[in-house]
Amino acid sequence: MAPAIQFELSNPPNDAVSSVQFAPNSPTRLLVSSWDKHVYLYETHGEEAGGKLIEKYEHRAPVLDVCFGVDDNEAFSAGMDWQVKRINLETREQIVLGAHGAPVKSVVYSKEHSLLISASWDCTLHFHDLRNPDKEPIKIALPQKPHSLSITPTKLVVAMSARLLYIYELQNPLLAPDATNGSSGLKPWQQRESSLKFMTRAVACMPNDDGYATSSIEGRVAVEWFDPSPDSQARKYAFKCHRQPDPENEGTDIVYPVNALAFHPTFGTFASGGGDGIVALWDAVAKRRIRQYQKYPTSIASLAFSSDGKYLAVGACPGFENGQEEYSGEGATKVYIRELSETEAKGKGAK
Amino acid sequence: MVGKKKRNHPDIEELLARPWCYYCERDFDDLKILISHQKAKHFKCERCGRRLNTAGGLSVHMNQVHKETLTSVDNSLPNRQGLEVEVFGTEGIPDDVRQAHDQRIIAAYYQAEAERRAATGNPAPGGSQGGQAKKPKFESPADLKKRLAEHKAKKAEQTTNGSSGGNTPMEGMVQSPMGQSPGAYNGSPYAPPQTTYGAPPAAGYGSFPQEHGSQPAAPYQQPYNPPYSGPPGPQYQTQYPPQQGPPQTAFPPGGYQPPQNFNAPPYATGSAPGSFSSPASSHTPPAYGGLPNRPPSLPPAPGLTQRPPFGAGLPAPPHQIHQNSPATYNSPGGWGGNGWNAQNQNSAMSSVPPSQGYGGSYSTNAAVNELVSGAAREADEIDEIIRRAEAGIITPKKTEAVQPPPSTTATTAEATPTPAPEATEVTEATEKKSKKDKPMKMVYSDNDVSPEEKMALMPRYAFVPEGKAETTPADATVPPAAVGTVDA
Repeated sequence: MAPAIQFELSNPPNDAVSSVQFAPNSPTRLLVSSWDKHVYLYETHGEEAGGKLIEKYEHRAPVLDVCFGVDDNEAFSAGMDWQVKRINLETREQIVLGAHGAPVKSVVYSKEHSLLISASWDCTLHFHDLRNPDKEPIKIALPQKPHSLSITPTKLVVAMSARLLYIYELQNPLLAPDATNGSSGLKPWQQRESSLKFMTRAVACMPNDDGYATSSIEGRVAVEWFDPSPDSQARKYAFKCHRQPDPENEGTDIVYPVNALAFHPTFGTFASGGGDGIVALWDAVAKRRIRQYQKYPTSIASLAFSSDGKYLAVGACPGFENGQEEYSGEGATKVYIRELSETEAKGKGAK
Repeated sequence: MVGKKKRNHPDIEELLARPWCYYCERDFDDLKILISHQKAKHFKCERCGRRLNTAGGLSVHMNQVHKETLTSVDNSLPNRQGLEVEVFGTEGIPDDVRQAHDQRIIAAYYQAEAERRAATGNPAPGGSQGGQAKKPKFESPADLKKRLAEHKAKKAEQTTNGSSGGNTPMEGMVQSPMGQSPGAYNGSPYAPPQTTYGAPPAAGYGSFPQEHGSQPAAPYQQPYNPPYSGPPGPQYQTQYPPQQGPPQTAFPPGGYQPPQNFNAPPYATGSAPGSFSSPASSHTPPAYGGLPNRPPSLPPAPGLTQRPPFGAGLPAPPHQIHQNSPATYNSPGGWGGNGWNAQNQNSAMSSVPPSQGYGGSYSTNAAVNELVSGAAREADEIDEIIRRAEAGIITPKKTEAVQPPPSTTATTAEATPTPAPEATEVTEATEKKSKKDKPMKMVYSDNDVSPEEKMALMPRYAFVPEGKAETTPADATVPPAAVGTVDA
């Protein structure tokens, strides 16, 4: 039999996954945040198959996002308890960095600027300067609720309701950090409207800092470039994905939300994960699908490539669908680690 | 081909001889192209791009070269993904699948032929009917969708309003010209077809006049109930969409393989008495107490909703029907006003000859058939809508017939000019994309509130903040509420 190129982590979270994140250095160290109020730290390639759960970090409320900090032992979490926390993964020490006025949807860490940026449903962004942890975070008001954040060494992309998308340049808050305390006058570098007609689900930036991909609830992914020149803007495109013909109605498609996007750190290709339980790899430049993996049993909630691009972590749990009154990811939540062959995620090149 | 003018439509034999792909049902000009299609689309290795000859070959290749197992054939129809069938070109296709395919081709062929005939007005070879109606203009799918969206909006609005009221009958009337050639349906052209139907309807109706005096309701219903039990109507529609009443007669019975389809027309006409009797029953509730049980004879309803012809054929607006204003029934040619008056008084159906009512309702059936042609799916949705509507509307007047309320409400629904917000969204979406997009069903369609926010509102995930929550009472109560309010 073929060697296992994919396995399921043992001891998965007890409820829906909100985020999976690989460590910046070790390609086998994985953080998973969950609606079961915990953040999980795994060593994905332990002695026994299925990886090893190193530690669980309890929170007061469901955790909506997690990210690694400066090294493999620092993490930040954001959750339903409105707080942004720094977690020392070794000592288990948790420090509250700041609080929003509503649940915090996303956190991203900028290594280059020692910044932690959190986005909350209270329609604010908080920039936490990690070099001056005692200082109040810089707060920026957003016009809409943020749904997803993504960061590059120089830019921050915030995807919001009403199909709004703001792009911030990251030098700004650092260059004039002291000018304002509290509400900052930081203006977005670009304000865009999503090229997708439906609500944005996820945004992910290209590792080469050229652009980003967004996905919507309507089975579509758009790829756009930062460069505002007409030439670059003309390159943007969108495509349909994560759809299936409706077996009951011929000619109709069942359209799934595209919940997760992740760029491969070296090849610049990206993976999309949808409510149909499918993960597909795409070549953003050649505009081609590289491959599509076999369907996972449930919706894909989050995706992450390891720092060396060798592994793909897939967080799968039942997706929240139309008309659902109750939701529980209990027992149906899984985290898969997929080992990618050398060229598996490499683009084929334009034809 | 010598000297023979090549027609622009192929023969049935040619169609049947075309090679086609088992996996995706596409057909090709020749076998070579089919094989290269299969190699490129269905038997190509995802990993290395190698093109194999069969699914089994690809499976072995995947296994040996890439150490992966192939579980389904790429780009194939949902029910054709299996690896157990070894297909190469057109070889190896299971017999039943092949037969189904052939039947589909034949059906499509006859359908196309009928359409051509309807369009050109040429008689079928050997066929005897003379003045067949020309085929009415066909509505583009985009228009259909748009109308459906509007209609759905109306429907939604109505269910919230809880009644069919609010729409003036005039709106329904005004709307009617917008559809295509309503006249073609209610007018004389359809009267003749009745005769062509000869046997089936007559059988159904037969019992009716005979027993009229004694027990109008019961005998009347019985013949029709069984055929009506749900499936036949819709099924018939989806499979033979574009057919309308008259063209059907052009088909030799043999041409129709699935027998039940051929039976369908009688069923459809069966609805005639339905729509016809129901207004009567509304006038005389006690006598027809049993009628509401008539299974959802949906076909007529969708036709009514979408097609103005109904308005012309049965101009009586909904409330008028309920309000016993028999005069309104005079307008359709076939419906003798006197007949209705008589009924109102003695509650005897007998006074109306079946054929008259038949003419009127016939148009609705034709309308249905045609409507459905382009949009089987829409029909289903409409069915659904109407089912709901029935449920909603029947309740207040239990003894009334089921049919008129849904149909008429639907008609008026569509007519009202202001669409509900939901509808605008749908229309917008469909309009923008109708050109290249299929209709779709979104698994998550709330465009304003993310799934996470909805989950956050559930008690299961709720969090009551301590400490600073006391600052504002609003915060202190329930954080989810705060989540909602933040959205200003």
